[in-house]
Formats: sequence, structure tokens, C-alpha cells
Amino acid sequence: MFDLFANLGLGLSVALSLQNIALCFVGCLVGTLVGILPGVGPIATISMLLPITFGLDPVGALIMLAGIYYGAQYGGSTTAILVNIPGEATAVVTTLDGHQMARQGRAGVALGIAAIGSFIAGTFATLLIAALGAPLTKLALVFGPAEYFALMLMGLVFAVVLAHGSILKAIAMILVGTLLSTVGTDLGTGQERMTLGLEFLSDGIDFAVLAMGIFGIAEILRNLDAVENRDVVRGTIGRLLPSTADMKQSAAPIARGTLIGSILGLLPGNGAVLGPFATYSLEKKLAKDPSRFGKGAIEGVAGPESANNAGAQTSFIPLLTLGIPPNAVMALMVGAMTIHGIIPGPLVMTRTPDLFWGMIASMWIGNLLLLIINLPMIGLWVRLLKVPYPILFPAILMFCCIGIFSINAEPVQVLMIAIFGLIGYALSKFGFEPAPLLLGFVLGDLMEENFRRALLMSRGDLTTFIASPISVGLLLLALGMLVLALLPSFRKSREDVFVE
Amino acid sequence: MHPSSAVPRAVPLRAPAAPQTFVAGLVLLALAGIAFWLTADLPRGSLRSAGPGMLPQALAVLIALCGAVLTVSGFLVRGEAIPKGSLRGPVCISLAIAGFALTIKPMSFGALTTPELGLAVAGPLAIFLGGYAAPGARFKPLLLLALTLTPLCMLLFGDMLNLPIPLLPQFLAENLFADWSYKGALRLTAAALLATALALFLLTRTRGGR
Repeated sequence: MFDLFANLGLGLSVALSLQNIALCFVGCLVGTLVGILPGVGPIATISMLLPITFGLDPVGALIMLAGIYYGAQYGGSTTAILVNIPGEATAVVTTLDGHQMARQGRAGVALGIAAIGSFIAGTFATLLIAALGAPLTKLALVFGPAEYFALMLMGLVFAVVLAHGSILKAIAMILVGTLLSTVGTDLGTGQERMTLGLEFLSDGIDFAVLAMGIFGIAEILRNLDAVENRDVVRGTIGRLLPSTADMKQSAAPIARGTLIGSILGLLPGNGAVLGPFATYSLEKKLAKDPSRFGKGAIEGVAGPESANNAGAQTSFIPLLTLGIPPNAVMALMVGAMTIHGIIPGPLVMTRTPDLFWGMIASMWIGNLLLLIINLPMIGLWVRLLKVPYPILFPAILMFCCIGIFSINAEPVQVLMIAIFGLIGYALSKFGFEPAPLLLGFVLGDLMEENFRRALLMSRGDLTTFIASPISVGLLLLALGMLVLALLPSFRKSREDVFVE
Repeated sequence: MHPSSAVPRAVPLRAPAAPQTFVAGLVLLALAGIAFWLTADLPRGSLRSAGPGMLPQALAVLIALCGAVLTVSGFLVRGEAIPKGSLRGPVCISLAIAGFALTIKPMSFGALTTPELGLAVAGPLAIFLGGYAAPGARFKPLLLLALTLTPLCMLLFGDMLNLPIPLLPQFLAENLFADWSYKGALRLTAAALLATALALFLLTRTRGGR
């Protein structure tokens, strides 16, 4: 317990330096600014803004990136409430009651309770990360290649189970993502794989290029297809601070949402996405009058928004302690950290404690800053939401191009985002989701490395994967989930969750 | 691509009940085929020392399996059609990105090398080409957007963040700004572009008589 406070103290002393507070502030502000644009989710926001952190030292860069991440998340919720367009899957639930509240002239209260709930959830999640960081890091050091492989396999299975739509298509996307990760020079033998003899492919496909293509560019193409029907709330935003009655009504949902979101966010394979859905269903079940839901119930905003933020934050835990990104956003963080010369994993905490704890402390500061800077600025965000898409998307396009170009000054990489954009667009036409592909791409590299290392250590004996109880447990869990997901009864309830 | 054109005509089968699933399966089969073809000459190795070809080929087999199941189930289970889309968006956006990539910095294709024109040309080019992806695109708003965004990006990325992005056409930078520092030239160009944007805005505004 004492360690926890000592560590948090160290973190605060790093995060509270004038420069780092400023970076956190700028990150939150810019993240909100871009994240609030309709149709631009956190993934596109982070990959677009990645270059602005290049000139910073690693601690400052990570603090700013974390700020961008929360800002983008928060901006997404604002768009969901005011325009009824969710920036990503986790904000879908917020549109249900949040936008209804906005239509009843209570947009301010919806935004206010979302911000307050997010702040409480963020505070709790920060403490949880600080408490779990050390023990999980110790656990990670016990993990050998076989256990890592099993863990990542389980993460991928979770990702399949939690993806929308067809399970088979989600599996196929993960496999394709893994296949894309094998492009480039083979680490074991130095032979080139599937590079078509092209020089720029010999280092493999750049992660930011893939993410920007299949999320950023493909999203523009998808939005251009949709007839625009933006329902920006007209009239007043109303008072921002919830009344005492509102607060009383929301207190319990915020607490429940925080808890559910925190736990689900820990799961590898994008458990965070499940948090808002689970909380919403729970609140609807617990409510005295469930028919109010979908018509502007404040619990339907408070609970899911808290769960969303808690999950967004605890999903840092698998990344920081085990080095395994649990979802596409965290996968992007891996790319960002690698650019700054940090390899995520158990060693980050022991080798660079100021970076590790500074980042965690800055998460809490970021949440606080969001609360302070966003509510007074709501008028500005509303105006930003009214920018017509024909003006908006050429700007997004140009930012994407400059962003990718500045990563390593290679015009070829810019051309690649066009190619991946077209691929992502085509895949969405055939009903495939891009998120599992991205996760497969990131985990694919790590999985192949650990798979081959495990086999090398066991001299080609496949039983090495069931030699330790940890890996057996993880593999059984993965198998169980997959079987469960394919059972007709579970499939139906899974569809229900997402339909709601 | 229209789904019915993908069905072989010689087979007297009915059209797939779920065109989207059917085509999705075909796409996966094609992908697996390409992966196989590209990795055919890589040694697979043994479990003891896995070769570079082992994982890609194993993945290709699994992808082909998924593809086969989807293709068959496209006939058996009723499902959605492929949503329609226009070609205008993809074509304009691809051209815009390609235009940016080819003008920002010299790029060589064998003997041919594209000239370095910098952000001052690449930025507006991307905005114009991309802007016409939207059906109701008009010239004037796009011009204004290009004239304001480009200098702002120059100042942000070049001046504040010190990222190495070529800003001006090479011949201009060499002749016109020979004695200037990099940042001086940058600021002057940005100011000139912004001034043009402002002038354009004011002129069109009064003439429009709003």
C-alpha cells in the first residue's frame, strides 16, 4: 500500500512539471478538437496527431498521446450526444439516451453528467492501474514464450467473440491481419516474404500506414457514400451542471459503470467495448421504469459513459504490464511508443519508472483537465460540429497525408494509405470489420516470434504449449469462449446485446 | 462489382441467397491464392526450426477455409446484398493522395524522377482533387480552404514542430529565397497565402452582396 502511494507520488512529481501539464493540456484539447469531428474516432485521431509528438522527449510524448486519447474519447461522446453520430463502437450506447436528452433541451446536463461520470471512473481506473501494475508486471516476468503465445491467442479469440456481425468474418479478418504482419524480412532467416521485390516493403508494412488507411481514409470513403443527415441539436444546450436530483439518480449507475468498465477493460481482445453495452443493459434491468430508457434517461448516459472511460483506461494495463495491446487503439499506442524507442512490456516499469508512473499520473490529470476545459468550451464544440462535411473531409485528408509523410519522409508511405484505404472500403462493402484486422496485424508479429521461440526451446515439440498450467488454462479459456460463441443460444444473446 | 456477374453462367444454379457473404468468401479465396503464390518458393522448414514460409502458408490455408465456408453459405443462408457505392469517392480520394505523394518530394520510377514541389503545391492539390469527391463540390470554397489550410499546416508542422517537410517548389526556394533562412521563407510564404485567402474572402463576400 505504501509503495502504491510512493509510486503515485513519483508519477505526480513527473506529471506536474510545468512542461508536462502543458503537454497534457494541449493533448486533451487537440484530441477533443479532432475527436469531436463527426466520423473521426479515436483511432483516426491518434494516427493523425501522432506526428505532433515527434519532437518531444518520450515522457512528454506519451503524456501528450494519453491526453489525445482521452480527448478523442471525450470528443466522441460529445458528438454522440449532440449529433447522434457515434465516433466508435463504445459511444453507440451514449447516442440512445444522450441524444434524446439533447432533443429535450437537456444537452448540457447530458454532457455534464458524462464528464462527471468519466472523471469519477477515470480516477478509480487510475488507482486500479497503479495498484495492479506492479503485481501484473511480476507475473509477466514468469511468462515464457509458450505462455505469451497462449495469452495472445486468447486475446484474439476474445476479439472475435466481441466483434460485431459474423464470427467467421471476424476470424477471417484476424487471419488476414496476421498474414499482412508477415510481409517483410523474416526475422529468423532474413529472407524476404511477400515483398514483391519492393524495397519499401522489406521492413514490413508500417502500422500507422495500415491504421490510417483502413480507418482514416476508408472512413472518409464510407461517409461520402452515406447521404448526410446530420442532426445537430438546435436551440439551447441548457444548464451544464446536473441538479441534485440528477446527481442522486446517477450516483449508483456511475459506480456500477465504473466497476463493470474497469473489469471488462482488463480483458485482452477489446473487452472495453463491452462495458457500455453491459452497463446499459444492467441499468435498464435495475430501473423501476425501464420504458424511460431510450427516451432520455439520465442513467443511460451516466452508467455507460463511466464504463466507457474506465474501460478505455484499464485497457492500458495489459499493454503496460504484459506488452500486449488489447485493442486497436492500444495497438496504435504500441506503434507510438516504439517510435519513441520504448518497447511496451514488463520492463518499462522497472527500467523507466518515471515514465511509467508519470504516464499513469498524467491520466488522472488529463481526466481532470478534460472536466475543466471542456464544459466551458461547449459552445465552440457545437460550432465545430456544424462544419459541413464537404469542407471537413478535404482537411482530414490533407492532415492524414502530412501525418503519414512526416513519420519517415517517404512519399511511398503516403501512396500506401490510398491503397489500404481502398482495401478497407472494399472490405466494409463485403461486411468485414477493420478492427480485428488491425489487432491481428499487431499481435501476429508477436505471436509468430513467441511461437517460433517456444518451439526452438522445446526442439520442435508441440507439447510445450500445454506443458505449463498457465498456458493450458489460457488455451482452454480461449477454446471455451470460441465454442460458446459458436453455440446458437449464445449467438442470439450476443446479437441482442449489439442490437440494443 | 455487381454480385451476379461473379456467378459462373454455365452453372444452372440460382443466384446466391446472400450475395455479400458469397462475394466475401470469393475475396478471401482470392487472397489466400495470392498469398500462396507469393510464398510458394519460401522454405516451410520443420517444427523444430520453422522456415519463413510456414506461417504465411498456414494462414493462407485457414483463410481459404473461411472463404470456402462463406462462399458455400452464401448459397444456403439468406443474407444481405452488397451495399451500393459510387466510384467518384474512391477515384477522387486516391487521386488526391497520389497527387500529394508525387509532388511533396522527389520520387523516382527508374529513370523518371518527379520534381519536388513541396507542401505549397501538394497541399492544395490534395484538397482540390479530394474535394471533388463530394457530389456538391464547388470551386470557391475549396480554393478558400486550400489557401487557409496550407499555410496553417506549414506554420504548424514546419515552424512549430520542426518536421522536415519540403514546403516550396525547389526552383522557387533556390532562386527566390536564396538568401533567406528556411523559417523566414516559410513565414513569408504562409503570410502571402493567408493574405490571398483573406483578400479572396473579402472580395467574393462584397460581390455576393450578402
